[in-house]
Amino acid sequence: MELIFSYQGSANLLSASNSHATHEIAISVRGLGLTYKTSIDRHPTLKARAKSLGRRGKHVRIIQALDDVNLNVEYGQVLGVIGTNGAGKSSMMRVIAGIIPPTKGRIEVFGSVSTLLALGVGFNPSMSGRDNVFLGGLASGMSREEIEDNFQEIADFSELGEAIDAPMRTYSSGMFSRLAFSVAVTVRPDILIVDEALSTGDAKFKEKSLNRMKELRSEDSALILVSHAMATLREVCNDVVWLHKGKVVQRGEPNETIAAYQEFLHVRKSAALDEDV
Amino acid sequence: MQVYEPFRAGLPPLIRYWKSLWSRRTFIAEYSRSELREQHFDSLFGQLWLVLNPLLLSAVYFLLIVIIRGSSDVTRYVHLTATLFLFYLVANSLTGGVKSITAGQRLILNTAFPRIMLPISAVVIAVAKFIPTLLIFFIIRTILGAPYTWEMLWAFPVLLITIFLALGLAITISCINVYFRDISSFLPYMTRTLLYLSPILYEASALKPKLMAIQEFNPLFPILDSWSRTLVHGQAPQGSSLLTGLAWAAGVFLIGTYFFLSREREFAVRL
Repeated sequence: MELIFSYQGSANLLSASNSHATHEIAISVRGLGLTYKTSIDRHPTLKARAKSLGRRGKHVRIIQALDDVNLNVEYGQVLGVIGTNGAGKSSMMRVIAGIIPPTKGRIEVFGSVSTLLALGVGFNPSMSGRDNVFLGGLASGMSREEIEDNFQEIADFSELGEAIDAPMRTYSSGMFSRLAFSVAVTVRPDILIVDEALSTGDAKFKEKSLNRMKELRSEDSALILVSHAMATLREVCNDVVWLHKGKVVQRGEPNETIAAYQEFLHVRKSAALDEDV
Repeated sequence: MQVYEPFRAGLPPLIRYWKSLWSRRTFIAEYSRSELREQHFDSLFGQLWLVLNPLLLSAVYFLLIVIIRGSSDVTRYVHLTATLFLFYLVANSLTGGVKSITAGQRLILNTAFPRIMLPISAVVIAVAKFIPTLLIFFIIRTILGAPYTWEMLWAFPVLLITIFLALGLAITISCINVYFRDISSFLPYMTRTLLYLSPILYEASALKPKLMAIQEFNPLFPILDSWSRTLVHGQAPQGSSLLTGLAWAAGVFLIGTYFFLSREREFAVRL
């Protein structure tokens, strides 16, 4: 296992208010079930409601996204979450973050949670990169002072140079995600949930962001990474859980779990498995 | 510790909710500012348009009054601009508020925050748009030589009640729009109807006794009447009007906020 950096300097301001001991429970998920009802009509409208008044039964499709999931995450853990598309990974992250209420079960979260489920949430393309650093930072729960103190660091990390003062709609998609990633990793909550945000920018920036993720690991915080990049997970995580069709298939040592998952994928004759995407 | 359990309609812990909302006040300000900038209100011509638009509107409506009534005077024009601009504060809160939740989809699906922040920022935007028109109103008023009195200070409580009502309306309609998306298409007709039912193109005192009933069902009626009394005529508004306005505002706010808060945890799956 690599050396764990403890991040010093100004960023300490962002550290969580109360520290947590290693192996203390960070997240406890008990019997979690989540079903989505998706209606056949794309949007609920008065018109649709009026039309369906006479009919019995609603035109809905029920999707079981998560089914009886039990999971504990401790402080000091870096948990990787793997699974095929539609396995329920993102749904689980949203439930833990309190964005979607569960249909069944109970989730207890001990500490502050920050989510990085999509890059550039809260960004406004018509504003400059500089304004968006504040907007995105405030959206993820930082205070204005914290952002000001860390602004230089964010700007440097994003490698945007002069472009930071140009409106974001003039950015290339790589520049956009580089800035978004830089803002997101500056937040230092007790629990950080990252959903496939590592695959950003060119090879050089990818390596830089991977290093940043490693820096974020510390004994008094918990990190959950959803990714299809097995190589990254092997390198960063100390625990991996494999979800399939809303259920936990296996949980444990990264190499073992990933190997089992990959074997399962090979059986299903999929290609391009260990691609770092 | 935070506990997440299956969704049941009901209020969240209010104190915690308020604290988390309060801690995001800078975000509300910044979010509103960015929305305003997106509509170019930071540029000179953007702001000019902001002022020009209600001015042209008031000119059109004044023309309408002159043609229908055959005559008009200065006070009527001052009354028209005063009430029309205040009406647009409420109308803009509604049009901004109705889509605030559905347009904030990306934010809602990816971050946990008090959702009520979105309609609140719609009202903040509407107030920001209102302020330059208020300045224009005072310029018009001064040019047309309407006298200034101390009673005009009553405009402050009237404005506060209006903002309170706008907030309640924005919260209510943003919540309704999550469940019935076509409400946003009805909205222009609703605001237009509200405009004609309000003492804007006419003065409240000029209303025929037969039609007096409409003031009972229009939350804007007592507010606009008080606004006109204080800013146009320089008199103190009727106490009963102020109280009725406040009662409407509080009622709409409480009912709307109750529905919003008890439903908002479900918004993410409804989008």
